[in-house]
Amino acid sequence: MIQLKHIFHWVNQGGKRVFILKDINMEVNEGEFISVMGASGSGKSTLLHILGTIQEPNEGDYFLKGESVYQLKEKQRSLLMKQNIGIVFQAYHLIDELTVYENIETPLLYLNIPASERKARVAEMLDKFQIVGKKDLFPSQLSGGQQQIVGIARALIIEPTLLLADEPTGNLNSKQGEEIMNIFKELNQEGVTIVQVTHSEKNAAYGTRIITLSDGQIEHAKNDQ
Amino acid sequence: MLTTYFKIAIRNLKRHRLFSAINILGLTIGMATCMVIMLYVRHELSYDRFNEKADRIVRVTFRGSVQGEKMNEAHVMPPVAWTLKTDFPEVEEATRLRNGGFPRISYGEKSFREDALAYADSNIFEVFTLPLITGDPKTALRAPNSIVISKEIAEKYFGKEDPINKTLLLKDSNIGYKVTGVMENVPELSHFHFDLFASMASLPEAREASWMTSEYFTYLVLPKGYDYRTLENKLPGTVEKYMGPQLQQAMGITFSEFKQKGNKLGLFLQPLTDIHLYSGFMYDLGPRGNRQYVYIFIIIALFMLLIACINFINLSTAAASKRAREVGVRKVLGSERWQLVKQFLTESIVLTFIALAIAVIIVKICLPFFNNLSGKALDLQLTDPWLLSALLITGLLTAVLAGTYPALFLSSFQPVRVLKGAFQAGKSGISLRSGLVIVQFFVSVSLIVGTIVVYQQLRYINSKSLGYNKEQVLVLRETGLLGQKEEVFRQKLLRDSRVLSVTNSGYLPAGPTNNNNFFVYPGDGTATEQVKTLRYDVDEQYVPTLGINMLSGRNFSKDLASDSSAVIINEAAVRSFGWEKNAIGKTINAVHRNGSQGSLRVIGVVKDFHFKSLHERISPLVMVLGESDGLIVKLKTTDVEAVLQSVKVHWSELGPGEPFNYSFLDESFNNTYRFERTIGQILGIFAGLTILVACLGLFGLATFTTEQRIKEIGIRKVLGASISDIITLLSKDFLKLVLLANLLAWPLAWWGMNLWLEDFAYRIRIDWWIFIAAGFLTMLIAVLIVGIKAINAGRANPIKSLRTE
Repeated sequence: MIQLKHIFHWVNQGGKRVFILKDINMEVNEGEFISVMGASGSGKSTLLHILGTIQEPNEGDYFLKGESVYQLKEKQRSLLMKQNIGIVFQAYHLIDELTVYENIETPLLYLNIPASERKARVAEMLDKFQIVGKKDLFPSQLSGGQQQIVGIARALIIEPTLLLADEPTGNLNSKQGEEIMNIFKELNQEGVTIVQVTHSEKNAAYGTRIITLSDGQIEHAKNDQ
Repeated sequence: MLTTYFKIAIRNLKRHRLFSAINILGLTIGMATCMVIMLYVRHELSYDRFNEKADRIVRVTFRGSVQGEKMNEAHVMPPVAWTLKTDFPEVEEATRLRNGGFPRISYGEKSFREDALAYADSNIFEVFTLPLITGDPKTALRAPNSIVISKEIAEKYFGKEDPINKTLLLKDSNIGYKVTGVMENVPELSHFHFDLFASMASLPEAREASWMTSEYFTYLVLPKGYDYRTLENKLPGTVEKYMGPQLQQAMGITFSEFKQKGNKLGLFLQPLTDIHLYSGFMYDLGPRGNRQYVYIFIIIALFMLLIACINFINLSTAAASKRAREVGVRKVLGSERWQLVKQFLTESIVLTFIALAIAVIIVKICLPFFNNLSGKALDLQLTDPWLLSALLITGLLTAVLAGTYPALFLSSFQPVRVLKGAFQAGKSGISLRSGLVIVQFFVSVSLIVGTIVVYQQLRYINSKSLGYNKEQVLVLRETGLLGQKEEVFRQKLLRDSRVLSVTNSGYLPAGPTNNNNFFVYPGDGTATEQVKTLRYDVDEQYVPTLGINMLSGRNFSKDLASDSSAVIINEAAVRSFGWEKNAIGKTINAVHRNGSQGSLRVIGVVKDFHFKSLHERISPLVMVLGESDGLIVKLKTTDVEAVLQSVKVHWSELGPGEPFNYSFLDESFNNTYRFERTIGQILGIFAGLTILVACLGLFGLATFTTEQRIKEIGIRKVLGASISDIITLLSKDFLKLVLLANLLAWPLAWWGMNLWLEDFAYRIRIDWWIFIAAGFLTMLIAVLIVGIKAINAGRANPIKSLRTE
């Protein structure tokens, strides 16, 4: 479903190229739950940003559902991504001025989905994560774990083909973290394809496959099943 | 989507209360000022527009220069109207107005003094749109001794009676005028405000073919779309053809000889709608507006709005880091840039319209005050569609002007940089913000300098030695009404121990006065060069009563019969007569109105005194013994009110029912500069508001910078920096900007204010200290504002700020 081919990404430092990603080739199949691991600076966040098209590599190709992402026009690419990819951040990145309800609703606004359908889908999501009672609260009134649940709900509202998670438990204590990871696992079992970046072996173990990055290169891939 | 934008806008306003308050306050002040000025400018521009033929009416004016003396009059000679109508087919209609002065008018028991009577040609109502309530506009003023009066006058004299065919008596001439029509009151926005139009046919002199007198305001109606300049270009021929022969008869030279001597005379045309703002004639119907001030006000309005918008731009971009994350997240969630631009613009629109609403309320409250100051009757009518749309457009324009740059700036953030935390908002756009702060203070400094210069000039006027003493001088007008008893009245005044002296003259060196052009030939009668002077008819008490200094010679004496042909002149007259020393004993030959000549012997020279306003140079003046209406009383006491009371008692005893008309010379003098004083006050207020808004912005920026550098301040404090070090650190950058703004503003202000001062013949030089003062003031304000923030930051416990990360 997703293919990265010969991805190179570098920065220039003192006239020298320092590679952040070097010849990355990877494939994500439908229903997978991939954990990307690696030391700090190994390039795993950049890889995730590239998958989420927040960032574009210096070289390489990205295929999503058979479309070559970098060949698309800005508008088409933007549409493709906002319909297919949901992202969960380590720092949650909820919008402070919006309530829980409005935060979850926001991606639908940008997809021009009619109000009645938005209402139904947000209600469903609130229900799913049992946060109906918190829908009118602002992010600052929630605990970190609760904020991250809202973050996940917001990422899922568009029914994404791919859910990206950048150290989703990094800012949480272990109990909250475990709760979040269980949510991911359940989602995966429901059929959501997930790629997560993590430091922790334990969290990585929730996934179906682990990719380890080292100095911008994939070390080895192993199947956990 | 739109409701979401609004919701977010409101929440953001609430969340960032300080910034919202600063922005709203700044925009409110800016827009309130704009509104007041908009009303004022609209008022000034809409004079005479009520006339249906407004675009086709022109007024004939008279300009010229005779022996270097400029003549500039809004009225022309009696035959101009019919001559132009006969000679030029394009003149569709020509009508005349002549000011009727201040007649006493009575009907039965009722008697009033009127100040709004004009004589008008019978076609006046076909030129101007002045609807008659009763009477036929075509014929009402055809017959001699007929009169059309306003509704107000009709009620005043006739109450509920029907005024038609009743007779109003003009008491001075004892002639009755039959009322043939009642008209609506002349609109406020008219360049003339007459309440009574008497028929021109009543005046035999109005039919005289004299090109040497001019008292007739003459208006022409031209065809639609006709360029009045085409007609104006034909007028020199007319002047030469008709005026030439009469000039030759009076002066003994032909018109072309007259012109060869460098003299100029001519008729010109002035569009009706230009009269209010583009006049400046010596004799005109009432005071005119001043287009310079209209321009100045428009510029100030734009500046105020600009400064408020700059606040918004500065604060929004400075606070960008607060919004950067939201922008990043939204982009990741699928927002496109234009959607974010719309969102941010919505915020600025919401903010602007809140400010607009408050501004409307403030203007409603402040308008009476402004009206009082400016002497206008402005009103903010929200039901007026013109005004409403002007307000909406102003609001939208302001929102777009203030919001566009921040919206583009904020929406440009790249999510990857923002979300990785590498974003250093606040640093970006620093040079833009610096530039904008410079603009704000540039405007503030210019206005401060302007205000100081205006006030200095006013103080100069007040303290200038005028060459006469204006204090404790009571001016009584129309004492001639007492007839034979005037002398009794005068004696009664003299017997009062509080009265120093009394002189019989209507000529005053300040305020409304008689003016008498007087052409004289200096010397023994061989001179061919006329000199234009002013003639004052005075008695022997005039010079001492007004405290005018004699330079040489003597004052008039009652005991010398020969003084009836004596004359006292001023220094300016000595100069323009070409006499260096020893003017005493020399003679001048005067041309009287009727053309006869007489010889006058100079017995004294007075030091120049400012009998005109300080806008004008002192011109030649001659004083002769003669009759003129009015008494000038010099008092010994400062308790003028008490004297006034007893003078009033004498008056009512001697002339019961006659209007008692008085003024104080120093008040009249002050009134001469009322306009300048008003401008000074208005300028001061605007300068204050501009500085206030600029300071609000500076305060916001300082708050923000301090927040940004809170960690740096903490570290510096831990390393041993004192509070004053912190203040220096934080205010240094701002002070540099304010200083630069000063350096840029000084030359401009100097140039602009010199331009303004050129309007005064007697004026101050702009001192260098004014600029230093403006600079010092702005720097002080900047230091204070930044200092307050810096002291707070410097006092804070550094541990707090350092622990956060």
